[in-house]
Amino acid sequence: MTLLAVVSTTYAVSVPSVEAIPAFARKYSLNCTACHTAPPRLNTFGERFLENGYQLPGTEDGGITGKKNLGDLSLDDFANYTGVRLRGNVLRGHQFKQQNPPAAEAGVVQNNVELGFPEIFSLFTAGSLTKNIGFFAELESNLEESSTGIERAFVTFNNLGGTNVANIRVGRIDPSATFSFSTLRQQLEFVGDNLNPSTDTVQRAGLFPLAAAAKFYGLRNRSGTAISPYAPSLYNAVAETGVEVRGRPFGDWFMYQVGVLNGANEAFGDSNKGKDFYGAVRFDYARAANFSASLSGFAYLGNSNATILTGTGQADVNWHRYGIAAHLRYNMFDLYGLYTLDRVAHVPAAALSTFDTSASGLSVALDTYVTDRTLLSLRYDNMDAGGDLSQRTSQSFAGIQLKQYVRSNIALFARHDLNLRRAEDGSAAARNLRQVFFAGIDIAY
Amino acid sequence: MHAKRLKYVAILIITGLCASTAQAVKPTTNRDTLTEGRRIYEQTCAWCHGIGGEADGPAGWFIGRYSSPRPRNFLKDGYKLRSTASGDLPTDQDLFTLITRGIPGVMPAYRALNEQERWQVIAYLKSWNPAFEEEKPVPLTLPQAPSAPTETAIHNGRNLYVKYDCRVCHGDNGEGDGPEATAGHLRDGNNLPIRATNLTDPSAWKNGASAHDLFRTLMTGLDGTPMPSYANEFAGREEALWELVWYIQSLSGQQRK
Repeated sequence: MTLLAVVSTTYAVSVPSVEAIPAFARKYSLNCTACHTAPPRLNTFGERFLENGYQLPGTEDGGITGKKNLGDLSLDDFANYTGVRLRGNVLRGHQFKQQNPPAAEAGVVQNNVELGFPEIFSLFTAGSLTKNIGFFAELESNLEESSTGIERAFVTFNNLGGTNVANIRVGRIDPSATFSFSTLRQQLEFVGDNLNPSTDTVQRAGLFPLAAAAKFYGLRNRSGTAISPYAPSLYNAVAETGVEVRGRPFGDWFMYQVGVLNGANEAFGDSNKGKDFYGAVRFDYARAANFSASLSGFAYLGNSNATILTGTGQADVNWHRYGIAAHLRYNMFDLYGLYTLDRVAHVPAAALSTFDTSASGLSVALDTYVTDRTLLSLRYDNMDAGGDLSQRTSQSFAGIQLKQYVRSNIALFARHDLNLRRAEDGSAAARNLRQVFFAGIDIAY
Repeated sequence: MHAKRLKYVAILIITGLCASTAQAVKPTTNRDTLTEGRRIYEQTCAWCHGIGGEADGPAGWFIGRYSSPRPRNFLKDGYKLRSTASGDLPTDQDLFTLITRGIPGVMPAYRALNEQERWQVIAYLKSWNPAFEEEKPVPLTLPQAPSAPTETAIHNGRNLYVKYDCRVCHGDNGEGDGPEATAGHLRDGNNLPIRATNLTDPSAWKNGASAHDLFRTLMTGLDGTPMPSYANEFAGREEALWELVWYIQSLSGQQRK
């Protein structure tokens, strides 16, 4: 019903004709769909634009369009480098199998329907400063998490040693940005979990591409703060501080990526004793027939990048991840998936009997335009969790979303997520989320 | 006499310089030109137009989705944006201008490619269509605009707008909401639904927004779209066509450029 109501309302208020030109598109006088299958998902052209440090593929334009001397800058010029995005749910309803089970925080695990304001506002500025030097900075305010801060911020140096031989990113980067499955580019937005702050137990599962999630219960960062099993992490982190190099030195069919990060799962700073390293390769086919495909693999090697509690205190562990991903696009279809395998090494012998050192995850998503302005998205997520055996709770969710574009930069959506692991009903709060409904809005300008 | 000779010498030198510059910028079509043109095409254009130029690049479908526009098929589609008569091929300069300016909304301006690179790409694109070897496209001669538009001229233009059924597609006020457009009857050469141009928003006009651009568009039409050429209707009546141009410009409050 919610889906029907939102879609029919959207049709009633839809204003066809004028194509808006948000953010980067303003600078190049292009519609969003020049680079996106449907924002935030990129098409092949958009992927190569990103890889080229926000320069048109095959060029070193250096922001030639609209570039003026500082004294001549106008608000219009500023708008060519700045965009905003407001997104989130205006209606959400949670349904639980068991109301307020033991150990649940009062009032959290019980059926509810809430009205709200779109919870995430992002201000980002990006572009090329000059030939082959680009930048990106994103300021995000999240009402749900009561947080505001720099999400990602980095500088790029491109085409070093020749066209696409080496492109460098330095700063707070999202390592999976150019992978076949980019953590941040999902149609089904992240919906945060709920952790009991005093017991660190999961009260309500998060909705997230679970293959990219932490997947371990009982892991902590080096400051001692619990890492949610639903938090994006390691190679799939939203942002970590470091530097990476990637390129396509042998042609478009192959990309390499190597990087080093602080990798301590901290919002900012570097308390890590060592650095984390990652490497990835990607094979592409993108030539004709309205078709493109890629296959990627990565290995992320952590170095004292997390801790676990032992009977006597905290112990450093090395948290690694290996993953493969693929994407297929054909006409209106955009299919992408990720499988990851996590390992925690150097767990003290005393903790091994209560700590599962491996976890895995699978996320598969499909987006398709069912009409010119209606995007249907499906996602399946599975997490075979690891970590503290007393808390460990695996999850499988299926999500469906219908997104109606009122204009190319304004969309209304309705979404339903269902917990598929009915067989694991129990008293753990994390297992109790049965299904969730959302209705919201996504605006970019 | 001495001054006259110097003048001739100066003209010869300047002409020679211009000729040599033009030669340097626009390379002759040979194997090297085509090889370089292909390299550039595959890095910049193939994402939408496809590696073989058949409008089937991996990113091309998403531009218009189920509607027009789709990327140009260099092997068989007609060319919308030209300075030549309807049905003719574009001139090299038309292609050069298109790559340089881009198309609002759908194709970026490739000024980041230097002029030689743009000419090399053009040579490569033309190599797919043998008609370019047989035909020598000639641009239509566009007359200079008469004196500045007057209220009377704009009023006359409005009458022409009605007489030639422009409003059937573009709407009474030029907002692209004519009955044919709103009924969804408009189709492009690929039988995809196409919107009528909103004449009140010059920034979105694909063939340029100056008075000369408008005049040219009315004369050439946009092949492969429902927009016909009005060259025959206005043959010998260029002044009337200018009145129509001024009326169209007045819809957006635009001054004659």
